[in-house]
Amino acid sequence: MAYWETIFYIASMVIYALAAGGFIYSFVFKNPRVVSKVTLLVAGGFLAHTGAIIARFFATGHLPWSGHYEYALMGGWFIVVGTLFVGWQSKQLQGLAVGTVPLVLIMLGYGYMQNPALTPMAASLKTVWLYIHVYFAWISFGAYSLAMASGTVFLLKQKSDSSATPNPAFERFPSLSRLDELIFRYVVFGFITDTIMISAGAIWAKDLWGSYWAWDPVETWSLISWLIYGITIHLRVTFGWREKRLAWLAVAALSSVIICFFGVNLVVNTSLHVFQVR
Amino acid sequence: MLKKMLKYLSSLRFTIVLICLLGVMFIVGLWVPQQRLLKTVYLEWQKNTPNLVAFLDTFGLTNVYASPVTITIWALFFLNLALVLWQRWPVVKSRITVTDAKIVDPVTASGYPFRACYPILPELSGDAVFAALTKKGFTLRGTTEGFYGIKNRLAPLAFMLFHLSFFLVLLGGLVTVYTEFIGFIDLAQGESFQGELGRYNTLPIPKMPAVGSIPKVSFVVQSIEPKVTRNTVTGIDVKLTDASGSTHLVGINTPYNTDNSSFVFKHLGVAPLFVLIDPSGKEVQGAYFKLDVVKGRQDTFRLGDFLFTANFFPDYEFKDGAHTSKSMEFANPVFLITVELNGKAIAEAPIARNGSMAFNGFHLEMRDMPFWVRFYVDKQRGLSILYAGFALATIGVIWRLLFYRREIVGSVREVDGVRCLVVAGRSEYYKSLAEDEFVRLFETAVIGK
Repeated sequence: MAYWETIFYIASMVIYALAAGGFIYSFVFKNPRVVSKVTLLVAGGFLAHTGAIIARFFATGHLPWSGHYEYALMGGWFIVVGTLFVGWQSKQLQGLAVGTVPLVLIMLGYGYMQNPALTPMAASLKTVWLYIHVYFAWISFGAYSLAMASGTVFLLKQKSDSSATPNPAFERFPSLSRLDELIFRYVVFGFITDTIMISAGAIWAKDLWGSYWAWDPVETWSLISWLIYGITIHLRVTFGWREKRLAWLAVAALSSVIICFFGVNLVVNTSLHVFQVR
Repeated sequence: MLKKMLKYLSSLRFTIVLICLLGVMFIVGLWVPQQRLLKTVYLEWQKNTPNLVAFLDTFGLTNVYASPVTITIWALFFLNLALVLWQRWPVVKSRITVTDAKIVDPVTASGYPFRACYPILPELSGDAVFAALTKKGFTLRGTTEGFYGIKNRLAPLAFMLFHLSFFLVLLGGLVTVYTEFIGFIDLAQGESFQGELGRYNTLPIPKMPAVGSIPKVSFVVQSIEPKVTRNTVTGIDVKLTDASGSTHLVGINTPYNTDNSSFVFKHLGVAPLFVLIDPSGKEVQGAYFKLDVVKGRQDTFRLGDFLFTANFFPDYEFKDGAHTSKSMEFANPVFLITVELNGKAIAEAPIARNGSMAFNGFHLEMRDMPFWVRFYVDKQRGLSILYAGFALATIGVIWRLLFYRREIVGSVREVDGVRCLVVAGRSEYYKSLAEDEFVRLFETAVIGK
């Protein structure tokens, strides 16, 4: 890691940790007023996070695209961008960070334990397809994470609303019916970008590996997660799965994406997607 | 019975069952070493646990992606998809058709969750309201006394488009599989290739196309220049000249494409020219050897009665009594050669380009050290069909899920003595979020914007 990258990286982790603590405090101690202030803290963490990416860019000469550390760095950044964007669009959605910020914090912690060595860009990554494929991969991850966060908030709010003394922290959020539709909207957005990501990846694979589809573990798992979200959309549109069932689906389905990004290479060391050794 | 079966085969419930089964098969493929993908791991595993592997082989679980079970599931999936599309077509047709029958009273219309009544500015005509709605992308039918409007009328067609794209992908996939030739060929700098089948590597055995021919090519490898920065391969330039004299630069991500074939760079090796000289100074034998020695691998070659084992150091240094490489960069390439005679090591020494080593009165000279590359050669047709499928899938999913339908019914009438726009609206997928949109829409329409 570069010197400034380390400083910004750790700073962002500390700020995100404080923000996550703040969100948890606001829900546990039923103090909704904290949410706006903690959102500002997330924005501060985001600036430090961006600083870490810029510092790494200047040290390596390329954006962080490969390896578990860089996945965590860049993927976390996209999730925070999505969280801040929806919070900026609607104050009611600022609290979605209660689901996404702890996720980003875990990702950054995991990334830090991986190999953050500064390496030149592998030859296999020097193509325009990288930007299309990886960019859409991160956008879909961000959208699916927001769907998970909306699902989590939906489930918590529903539980709170059905209790004798509802938690005022949930009053800030949109109504349950709106949250339900937001889950679907984020899933739809993620599914579209996921489709583009897989198509672009297949075209790139043809040039890089000679085969558009090789049943590589990461390819296979990305197809599995695409199918899971495809089923989610069909269950919602055709079978009318809404509210609690949809929320649980959105929370559970994110695990398939996390496995695709971080899990497959932990159990299978033969993936073509391990670019550093190419 | 048949009707019941057909109904189940064309149901979405069956689609979900099939997708779940496919998911299970894919997960099996991730955990069980696959013959095609992990040949070495599979063979090792087979050696250690022959009974288990034989058992899994029987059920096709070691070749899961092409196993009869998976192919059957795929076949059923496409059958299900075809039946679903067949059944949905009349529904899609009726949904995109706009008739007067769709003009209903906004107050009593069923299936429209959004209902509202907006006073219209006195100076504003009904036509101006109509024009404002049209400006917002609605196609209107009827008059101000009763109208039906729709936005993104053709969205249901995107449903057909998206799902039909699966058939294009299937067709493209099948064409590529049946016309596919796959082979590996090792070519050194200066070598030419005329597409001879016998020149392809014997392991793995080239896959011959069921339909079509092997690649028809003719080129000479002019130069090979690997680029390594520290321990990362940052590029390789392989210059080819074809029969017409045109030059093609092959690199990682840039294969040589000709005759529906791709020559994809896969592997780099060193092909030194070694010459064996006997004690009288006479050249006994010499040849270029394609040695697979990059990244610490060891390879052997024979000259005369001697067996030579070669270790390669791209950036050689002798440090602390050991032969080592400072980096992966080809800054100071040196071979460490061990000579064996009748199974017994008799000498060991490093040799650089134009260097030599002596043993038993003989000399081994290295006079040249070009590189060689392994190309993955793949010829297949149908890629354009496949890519068209990807493009249609992308267009279809964007169209269907982002440009979804919104329908409105309304009329301009007097309510409690005030001229109002009475409306009802509905949207695909969304109810609460669509309300905001309808409120904005009608609020601007009644002021003529």
